[in-house]
Amino acid sequence: MFDVIVKGGLVVDGTGAPAFTGDVAVKDGRIAAVGKVEGEARQVVDAAGRVVAPGFIDPHTHFDVQLLWDGAARPALEHGVTTIVPGNCSLSLAPLKAADRRRVVGMFQQIEEMPPEAFTTAFEWSWEDFAGYVAAIRKGLSINVAPLVGHSVIRLWVMGNASQERAATPDEIAAMQDLLRECLDAGAVGLSTSFVDVDENGRPVPSRFAQFEELDALCAVLGEYGRMLQCVPEFYATDITIARIDQLAELSLKHNIPTTFSPLFDTAAVPDNAPRAIARVEEHFARGARVWPQMQTRPIDISFSLLRPSLFFARLPRWVRILRQPLDERLAALRDPETADKMVADLGPDGGEQMMGRLVVRGGDAAPSELVGKTLSEIAAARGEVPARALINLSLEHGLDVAFLSASQGHQLTDRIGPMLAHPLVHIGASDGGAHLASFATYGDTGYLFSEFVRKGRYLSLEKAVAKVTSETADIWGLKDRGRLAEGLAADIVVFDADNIDRGAELPSFDMPGDGMRYVRAARGVDTVLVNGEVAYSSGAYTQSRSGVICA
Amino acid sequence: MDDAVIVGAEIVAGHDGSAELLVRLRHPDGSEGPVVLDEETGLKLMEACAAGSLDDLKGQSWRRIVETG
Repeated sequence: MFDVIVKGGLVVDGTGAPAFTGDVAVKDGRIAAVGKVEGEARQVVDAAGRVVAPGFIDPHTHFDVQLLWDGAARPALEHGVTTIVPGNCSLSLAPLKAADRRRVVGMFQQIEEMPPEAFTTAFEWSWEDFAGYVAAIRKGLSINVAPLVGHSVIRLWVMGNASQERAATPDEIAAMQDLLRECLDAGAVGLSTSFVDVDENGRPVPSRFAQFEELDALCAVLGEYGRMLQCVPEFYATDITIARIDQLAELSLKHNIPTTFSPLFDTAAVPDNAPRAIARVEEHFARGARVWPQMQTRPIDISFSLLRPSLFFARLPRWVRILRQPLDERLAALRDPETADKMVADLGPDGGEQMMGRLVVRGGDAAPSELVGKTLSEIAAARGEVPARALINLSLEHGLDVAFLSASQGHQLTDRIGPMLAHPLVHIGASDGGAHLASFATYGDTGYLFSEFVRKGRYLSLEKAVAKVTSETADIWGLKDRGRLAEGLAADIVVFDADNIDRGAELPSFDMPGDGMRYVRAARGVDTVLVNGEVAYSSGAYTQSRSGVICA
Repeated sequence: MDDAVIVGAEIVAGHDGSAELLVRLRHPDGSEGPVVLDEETGLKLMEACAAGSLDDLKGQSWRRIVETG
């Protein structure tokens, strides 16, 4: 008797092999059979007309905090993601001394934009060491977690305030090595570092004060375990990115470790950025190094309100000058009819239709709910105004707290990005799931992979796309038990409709602690998700299953 | 010593959803390359250069970035 049989689906086993119609049987949390399965099961999932694939693996997330009250990392799980890697960009919630919590909370709030209540009311902060954090999240997991430990918190633990002031001494580096070993023994799957991030005061995070000797010493420890180094390189600065790639390659070769950098973006402003980086990666793989560039699937949007000056208006000198003023003076200027007339005139005869017409009202702020999702062009027409005037007046009517979205302003060219995503050395990831909560939704990148690059662009076959986010990810990260539908492996399974899988519209949601707002995207076309053999999501609802594990 | 000079500027989408400033620099040896500034630093650079628009940044010394600190 099997526990579950997923019956009659199009089996895409994660290896890239051609799909076939068949069944997948599960027993004791593991895949017991794949193919034509005979026998009974306590639960049968009808997968006729659906794809049956290994659960997706998201290698770049920041769900560290959310996992303490939401073991499903909603809405990641409903998108078919069964394993997440939190702790990226040098930040994790352990190891962390109680006295340093406020400092790291500031860094997390900077990166994740999480409300303060998330750290004060949503969980009991019971741990200091990595094992304690793992124990704190383990009991409530319905998604698998492969956590990284952050270089910044390791540095903070050892050096205290000096972690954001100076290079480490040899003794301090040795202490960091010991601490990293302890974390790896407690379940960390690698170390993350950052050359970019800042804390809430705009100061570089601790990892950015490390000299190469320190990173080299920590990578020596990673080499003892064969574990991953993740880093955030400088964006769009191609020469510096290539220098980072070279650095990672040397560390990879010297210590025999995998390394990954994320994100790698494509942009029309620097069209050779991603191609040059990928070419450099090819050179290093040919030498035997492992330097995996992580590329996200979704385009990058720009969002802004008139509450703060934004470079969105950088081509409009008068707008820049007015929006840079202190709030009271800014409001006075915007309310002055003569000034407003001049601002509108700056947009030319179309009143801003070309530049602003496609802006979308985002919601989650003071904007009237009936306007959420509408374009400024639509709103302006309804108001009998041109778009620039509507933007000013709508903002004034709501205390300037109206956010506008300029969609797909970077990393948006499917015909350029598709071939790069299909490249054998490009690692699909960098979703940032659980971060930038109040800026944009970081969920549904896998749905977008299938809708945009498989169905629409046909840059990857269904089988190849599945392999990219399952077996290839598992292999890159050394997650030996995951990523394939094969007998004996963990039964992480997603059942989806290949014709409809997608990400939903970006919408505000007030589901963070303290009624905090974040933007989310619901899943489309995902029917059922099993985690370690238990149904964790089905027919649009999460179950009570808590079968997620800390996985290595 | 000659300074690097700004020869172009564009707005790019930052990974955090903000609009960032990409300036293209020409270095004294004739080479060119991009540098990306976050939104706040980009606005400060425009202010330091008394630039009302992106085009006004062209020809400005990169040394102006020091004034944004």
